[in-house]
Amino acid sequence: MGPLIPNGIIPIEWDSIIAILIGVVFGFVLEASGFSSSRKLAGVFYGYDFAVLKVFFTAALVAVIGIYYMDYLGYMDVSQLYVHPTYLWGAIIGGVIMGAGFVAGGFCPGTSLCAVAIGKIDAYVYVAGIMIGVFIFSELFPLLEPIYNGYFYGNLTLQDSFGVNPYWFIFIFSIIAIVAFVISDMVRKKQKKVFY
Amino acid sequence: MVKKKIAKVFAFRYIMLAAILILLAGGLVLLPKYQKHEGIKPQELLSNVISSERYITTDELAQKLIYRDPSFILIDVRDEKSYADYSLPNAINIPLEKLLDEDSRAYLNQIQFDVVLFSDDHFYADQAWILCNRLGFKNIRVLKGGVNNWFKTIINPEKPGPTMPAEAFQLYSTRKAGSMYFGVVYPEQANIAGSDTKIEAPKRVITVQKRKKKPVEGGC
Repeated sequence: MGPLIPNGIIPIEWDSIIAILIGVVFGFVLEASGFSSSRKLAGVFYGYDFAVLKVFFTAALVAVIGIYYMDYLGYMDVSQLYVHPTYLWGAIIGGVIMGAGFVAGGFCPGTSLCAVAIGKIDAYVYVAGIMIGVFIFSELFPLLEPIYNGYFYGNLTLQDSFGVNPYWFIFIFSIIAIVAFVISDMVRKKQKKVFY
Repeated sequence: MVKKKIAKVFAFRYIMLAAILILLAGGLVLLPKYQKHEGIKPQELLSNVISSERYITTDELAQKLIYRDPSFILIDVRDEKSYADYSLPNAINIPLEKLLDEDSRAYLNQIQFDVVLFSDDHFYADQAWILCNRLGFKNIRVLKGGVNNWFKTIINPEKPGPTMPAEAFQLYSTRKAGSMYFGVVYPEQANIAGSDTKIEAPKRVITVQKRKKKPVEGGC
């Protein structure tokens, strides 16, 4: 049956409308759980708040377990899902830059827009920074193009590149996640409480 | 008192959630695995197989060709050599072993035309039909009896005996007229025609619109 859009159960023209609805809900949840505060996000790196780590790890786990159960029961075909293409060096360099921006500014692109919506000044500065970055990138694109389009490995998954069994991987991944939660909690307790 | 009890239970909420996650993930590992079938369900395939609509007779096909019905394409699943020797007018050659190539899929996996598969008999064409059907391709049919039957019924129809019913004569004359359309010259009209110009079926250009396959986009 699923995924719904590639199989034509929901027409592809609904894409943008569904995206807007999901975006509204996502933004609401981000803001409601306090993710529009740069201090909360930066807390992961300083060790006083691990909400981000927990939230995204849990989200990934719930999604992957749910998807594989649905695949097992025949409601959805995992092989039809979108797999992001791997541009190795582009991803590494981009990841480093994004990580640096994340620590320095305390936002990821999604939460920064959330924070703009509730009027945080640092978020305005951050988004302006994103715009400047986009502008510089576009201007330098001819120079950067070999990295942008190079080192292409196709739409790889861990299953393709390492041949791991997805079910075992999910099991090990969930154990790693829970160990990470426990450790992060221990680290947080050792840190001085920060009020924000 | 009740509140205290609830609070006691809720003190373990994270541990419980963690346990649920691990249980569910472990369940995935322990579930018995089964072979997944690609394409349509076996029941659906069976109902397609026993449907009488999957065959088209040579007479129906001849009529379609004579009327230049634009709604279908002919696909010859025999090898290249047989195709080069003789094939039906405007047929496309897709040998059985190349059936699932990317180029061939454009002709088979579309909803623009009906597809008529044929081979010498309908044996190979049936195999191709099964493959296409399992992959869920639509509007695929098989020429009953294939090229052999085409020769027997349309190109060289058998003259009915004197004791045959009137319908047989009617069918014979229709088939004979059909064979003339496909270039057969009968002795009684040979002297009238005089020249032996070969009548070629008008060439038909078949363009298949590739089924829109938009790549799924994603991002953060």
